[in-house]
Amino acid sequence: MTRLFGSAADRTKAVATLALLSVLPLYVMQTGGTYRARLLELFLAFALLGMALNIVFAHTDQLFLFVGALTGISTYTTVYLVDATGVTVWALFPVGALVAGLVGVFVSYLAARLEMSIIVIAILTLSLQLAAEEFFEGARDVTGGTTGLRFPGLDLPPVEAALGFPSRIVNYYLLLLLLAGTFVLYSRMIRTRYGLAFDAIRQDRVAAESVGIDVMRYKMIAGFTAAVLIGLVGPLYATAQGRVTPTNFAFQSVDVTVLIVLVLGGMRTMLGPLVGAGLVIVINEQIGVFGDWETAAFGLLLIGLFLYFSDGVVPRLEALADRYDLTALPGRARDWFG
Amino acid sequence: MASTTLVEVFVDAIARGLLFALLGSGITLVFGLGNVLNIAIGAFALIALIATSEFLAVSPNVAVAAVGGVAVVAAVGVAVDRTLLSLVYRQEGEDRILLGIFVTLGLMLFFEGVMFVEYAEGFSVSHGVPALTVAGLRIRGSTVVIIAVASVLLALLFLFLQRTYLGKATRTVFQDETGATLCGIDARRIRTLIFVVSVVLAGVAGILQGFHTNLRPDAAFELTVFAIIVSIVGGVRNIQGTVGAGLLLGLVITYANFFIGAYIANIILFGVAVLALLVRPEEIA
Repeated sequence: MTRLFGSAADRTKAVATLALLSVLPLYVMQTGGTYRARLLELFLAFALLGMALNIVFAHTDQLFLFVGALTGISTYTTVYLVDATGVTVWALFPVGALVAGLVGVFVSYLAARLEMSIIVIAILTLSLQLAAEEFFEGARDVTGGTTGLRFPGLDLPPVEAALGFPSRIVNYYLLLLLLAGTFVLYSRMIRTRYGLAFDAIRQDRVAAESVGIDVMRYKMIAGFTAAVLIGLVGPLYATAQGRVTPTNFAFQSVDVTVLIVLVLGGMRTMLGPLVGAGLVIVINEQIGVFGDWETAAFGLLLIGLFLYFSDGVVPRLEALADRYDLTALPGRARDWFG
Repeated sequence: MASTTLVEVFVDAIARGLLFALLGSGITLVFGLGNVLNIAIGAFALIALIATSEFLAVSPNVAVAAVGGVAVVAAVGVAVDRTLLSLVYRQEGEDRILLGIFVTLGLMLFFEGVMFVEYAEGFSVSHGVPALTVAGLRIRGSTVVIIAVASVLLALLFLFLQRTYLGKATRTVFQDETGATLCGIDARRIRTLIFVVSVVLAGVAGILQGFHTNLRPDAAFELTVFAIIVSIVGGVRNIQGTVGAGLLLGLVITYANFFIGAYIANIILFGVAVLALLVRPEEIA
């Protein structure tokens, strides 16, 4: 347990956050029905997607603009395999995630091999995203076209029966389990040589190479980790949405949201994407007051956010906490009174 | 299959290619000059179209209304350049590229949202040019207008860049911004001018497309995607290349549409973009 996380501070933060999140459904179940439960599921799904983008974009400068396509690839692969083989979804969804991971690592490989800059990776993955969207909509015999496919989700009837939880809450706890695993993975990754290598590569690629860091390998590791994580979230996210349709994996519905989640919450932090996802869900609900003007208001928010708030909530809060650090108070008082 | 049909498809493909060329040039000019990838370009195309059809309610003359529409989009372009883009240009290098993408993406959502509220039903403009029949070929009136207007506009663009002082100054900034500054060229003012030129090109493309079909607000994103792909395939900083790529992709997508079907045609289009990126990724950044 002691070495599960990369640092004691990470452990405290993660355990407190997970404890809080694990009692959240009790409150929601008392006050609201399915609608609120769905918001909870989406909250965790986008937090996880944000954490994946954090690893690959914020830490290794590979701007993956095909998060939607990757979630779609893993989900359609899973649903297709379940239909074709009749094997339980529990055995097959890791296969879907692995397929997404392979796509991710292949893109990372090409990008590193051809020494693509961040903008080229962005446009490359955006093209792949749009091609995937066309495929999801067009290949009707595989994907069911715009009407989509029915997907019972990763359900656990015995658990639902034993604990009396609605299936949405079960899905929430599955997402929470994945979040706990991702906290551990992220904390370990960033506090070990991987994190050091990521920092070195991001700050000066040539210098990093010259001290013997295998740049290509680390970028591929980041790409693979992020894509597998996105792939694991895919079917859970689709379960939350209810039906497997192309619009659920579209650039406008996934990638734009995930980018906002990451930037608003704070890049290169463990809790940033979670905080960002929470804020985006709340803002989205509040923005409903604009009625039809919702999209327009969201666009303005996005502009303001990127122009004036690109360092994110969590880093700002941490800076604030440092400034008013109580343990440093005696020293500061001494300075003050000379 | 009748060979006349194939020729008719070819003429359609040229019209489409010229529209692609207009849109792609809009991306190339602004990116080449200031490293801002204008994701909102499709929205500018629709703004011009919407303004044109609003003017048509006042003046029945299409040409007058279209000029009005272009003037509106130019004014919006100036406003965006002076406010949002000024903030973006304060950044340098890769930071600016990223901020440019994000800010214009937000702008795109904003415009799209406004258009969905006010003009959700979509727009088309009737041009009143009858269909032509040449040597047994039947060509739609809108195709004739598109080919005529777009070629003249592209010719004017090249004349401007090659022959005028401002055009030469623009190309200087393209090649070497520091050098241009040392020659006394104000890069920021050139950027404003070129941004307005780019949204005017996109606006004309939007109006011309509106002669052809009814465009709804969600077409804005699609137009942006076409514009970016054309610009990439042409080599993002190369205006001749962009025009060539526009014509080429117009042919590819129109024939693929005709022979294979719409969704595979679009996948081929994105495939070409991916290939272009893989073959020469260094041209872009």
